[in-house]
Amino acid sequence: MPNIDRRSFLTLVGAGGVGAGAGFMLSESRKHPVEHLVPYPVPPEEFSPGIATWYNSVCSMCSAGCGISVRTREGRAKKIEGNPAHPVSQGRLCALGQSGLQALYNPDRITGPLVRAGRRGELEFDPATWEESLAELANQLELMRTAGRGGGVALLTGGVRGHLASLLELFMSWLGSDQLLHYDFNHPATLYAANERFFGESELPYYDIENSRYVLSFGADFIGHWLSPVHHGLGFGRSRQARDGIRARFVQIEPRMSLTGAAADEWIAANPGTEGILALGIARRIVDQGGYQGADLDAWRAALDGYAAESVAEQTGVAADTVARLADSFAETQPGLAIGGGATGNHSNGVDALVAVNALNHLVGNIGVEGGVIFNPPPAFGPTASRQAGLSRMLELAEDARAGRIEMLIVSNTNPVFNLPEAAGFAEALADIPQIVSLSTFLDETTAQADLVLPSHTYLESWGDDAPSPGVGFRVGAVSQPVVEPLYDTRATGDIVLELAHRMGLDLAFPWPNMEEYLKYSWREVWSSGTPDPAIPDFDTFWTSVVRAGVWGDETRAPGGEFAPDAGVVDGIGVGAPEFAGAEGEFPYALHPYLSNGLHDGRGANLPWMQELPDALTGVVYGSWIELNPVTAEELGLSEGDVVAIESPAGSIEAPVLVYPAIMPGVVAMPIGQGHEQYGRYAHEHGVNPIDVLAAQTEPGTGALAWAATRVRLVPTGGRVDLVKVGGDSRELGREIVQIADAGTPAAAGAPTVASATDAGAAVGIDVPAVGAEAAMANTRLNSIPITVVNT
Amino acid sequence: MGVSIVPTLKVLKPVGMIVGVGFVGLLVGYFANAAFFPGTTPVQPIEFSHTIHAGDYEIPCLYCHTEARRSPSAGVPSVNKCMGCHAIVATDSPLVREVARHYENAEPIPWIKVHDLPDFVHFPHNRHVAAGLECQECHGPVETMDRVTRMAPNEMGQCLTCHRDMEVEHGIDCLTCHK
Ligand code: SF4
Repeated sequence: MPNIDRRSFLTLVGAGGVGAGAGFMLSESRKHPVEHLVPYPVPPEEFSPGIATWYNSVCSMCSAGCGISVRTREGRAKKIEGNPAHPVSQGRLCALGQSGLQALYNPDRITGPLVRAGRRGELEFDPATWEESLAELANQLELMRTAGRGGGVALLTGGVRGHLASLLELFMSWLGSDQLLHYDFNHPATLYAANERFFGESELPYYDIENSRYVLSFGADFIGHWLSPVHHGLGFGRSRQARDGIRARFVQIEPRMSLTGAAADEWIAANPGTEGILALGIARRIVDQGGYQGADLDAWRAALDGYAAESVAEQTGVAADTVARLADSFAETQPGLAIGGGATGNHSNGVDALVAVNALNHLVGNIGVEGGVIFNPPPAFGPTASRQAGLSRMLELAEDARAGRIEMLIVSNTNPVFNLPEAAGFAEALADIPQIVSLSTFLDETTAQADLVLPSHTYLESWGDDAPSPGVGFRVGAVSQPVVEPLYDTRATGDIVLELAHRMGLDLAFPWPNMEEYLKYSWREVWSSGTPDPAIPDFDTFWTSVVRAGVWGDETRAPGGEFAPDAGVVDGIGVGAPEFAGAEGEFPYALHPYLSNGLHDGRGANLPWMQELPDALTGVVYGSWIELNPVTAEELGLSEGDVVAIESPAGSIEAPVLVYPAIMPGVVAMPIGQGHEQYGRYAHEHGVNPIDVLAAQTEPGTGALAWAATRVRLVPTGGRVDLVKVGGDSRELGREIVQIADAGTPAAAGAPTVASATDAGAAVGIDVPAVGAEAAMANTRLNSIPITVVNT
Repeated sequence: MGVSIVPTLKVLKPVGMIVGVGFVGLLVGYFANAAFFPGTTPVQPIEFSHTIHAGDYEIPCLYCHTEARRSPSAGVPSVNKCMGCHAIVATDSPLVREVARHYENAEPIPWIKVHDLPDFVHFPHNRHVAAGLECQECHGPVETMDRVTRMAPNEMGQCLTCHRDMEVEHGIDCLTCHK
């Protein structure tokens, strides 16, 4: 045993200890990380670990109301698909619908009730409890109601349909308030008005694109965002590829090529706001050529007198022979379909223009026929009178607020502070409302102004139902069921309203304990309205089958019925020159805002997938930009990435330039959706909001915001940024990607012909040989989904 | 003899001892960890004995791990399932009382996974059960284990050998397991 002094001994002990520790950790690091297997205490009956459970429900990301099937595993939603049995979406879904999951799992959701602690808009909130918040709110409402001041309560929601809308109606009528408003930036108010005037019904008809042989669209981006894009996209695909060897022809008229326009055989740019005049020019030519033989021919001749080809050409900028060619081909090809929407309906002459488009359908006999315009039956349920508020109705609300007539504003999942022009002064008017309650899911710009936040579930956690509008030509109703348990301490809007009613002592008027029971109660009526089916003996069986299938209704449409407009309608046909805010001399460019692919009207901006989705036409990702024709850009000496101030009579924003060939010279296009100040980490502080510079210009008849009727000027700021783009160059660089074939002759078999009409105004005609019927898609049968388990 | 190495050795000797003792410590630490805290034989939150259930009482594996028959994951029984028997059987055992406590509080039991495959491997239990494989082929003689231990390496070689031997259709395609 060697002699070891104390110092060496301690050193050796230390060395041994360090070694042992290192060895222990080394061994530890080689182990499999501990994972737990946590079974349910009591498992729900309908699922097994590892096996997906699918629920049918309804998409609420936009107002189209597509049917969805949601794949869940162990109680978590994993993927959203289209419900094949739902006649609107038929198994398909758009990008925004797909990203509904990111609304559900969004890290910026409001996780429980909040009360304002700081000043309004400062975002200082204290957490609160449902019990206390509801008790106090109900108390306040009941006091107002019994004192006869219930009219001072305004309820402002996003586009709500079905029985939730009925419930809100009932609630507000019990309060004694008429201030129930739905605000949706994209609501086609002018289209409803045009249909009311021409067809006598303020409803959306079914546009039978699928069976049409000629679609003439005036500004409607119908596979992008217009009305029911998924359904239109399907119908369009079939009309172009899958039908008895004949490919439908499609002509799009709009100042800036949209996603829909890019799919057209011919893309025509008319001067902004003159699309209706062009429609009447076409109508005049049809009448002149003897294409219309109705009893009221003389009235039509008189009404169309001022729309001779030359004057139309002068106003619209579309050559007279193009007008004639369009008219002749449209009249010859049966059935054809003229549709109008988008910017065409959002000028000062929007309703007149859309009436002119309706008139075209009538002149060629395409109303009530397959492949034309088919009237929808009235919605299967829900209120009939529309509560949709246009700009002027919102201005009235603001006026009421300023005059102190609004004591409480309840706002639910709509964001007027972002979606109304600043010039409307809505945000300022909020300051005059003593109490603002928000039932929204996210902390958007409007909710940021709230005093009390009672956050609602996402649609994937709620019960609801929907009667889609536009319908599909026959009665359809759909039930939306929760596909997961609520993630946070939130409640469904319907449940909040029922709870308030109960606490106000209105149990007799609201005898339903919750939204689910209310739906069941209401659907008894729907059940008895249908044809009795021996396989469905009682209501419970019916309800189970509807919830399982996600949809209920008829299966065939019955086109038909003679249609003739009233004499007065024909006499009143005419489209005036569009009126813009801003004199042409001072503000030389027409601003053409458009709903962006993924962000929609801004609601998609908090979804990372949608932020990452490049614009389909320009390839730009992230931020905001303006699109200029190369000619305009050259005039101004601007090139891609130059930052300019976009100044309108109403305000100014800054954005970089993108030179985009598929836009008219003299028009400035800009996507809507960015420019949030709130709305969570993914949305805020990206880009700018073009709605900010819109003038508070309305279509006078409806009071709808004429969002395409503002002129701007561009002032270079000297700044430059690099736009983030996918796809590199939009030019061909000798790669011969675009091949132009004569529209009349089928392209040679073999190499497929691809057209991308990057040349502004070019008519690109293509024809593809028929590819045979798409048998699998041909039929839509309800109640045919086998794999869905009913949520109990 | 030019330079003597003796002075150098004198300096190195204590350093060598330190390194030597440190190395011995390393080995002791390494194996002590492996012996006393074996990752392949984790201590479960409740000391459930497969020897009693699967061994002595011969309860079939699929009685409790029902999902193995129809789902990719075999699953562990819910607390509810345990109570199916233990509401009347061995109710005075402290371990069973612990299970009952979980049941009453609707509190799941956080069992620790013994057999685990990396996330990039797709292993459907149902197909293997349907092919007539005994659970023991991969999981070892579980019915003799008081504490379940991971016997087989559950590595790719094992999968491939078996798929080859049994001539499984597409059994050795990459995409059969990695998808
Ligand atoms: S169009 Fe898209 S967002 Fe709108 S309802 Fe259908 S899937 Fe949802």
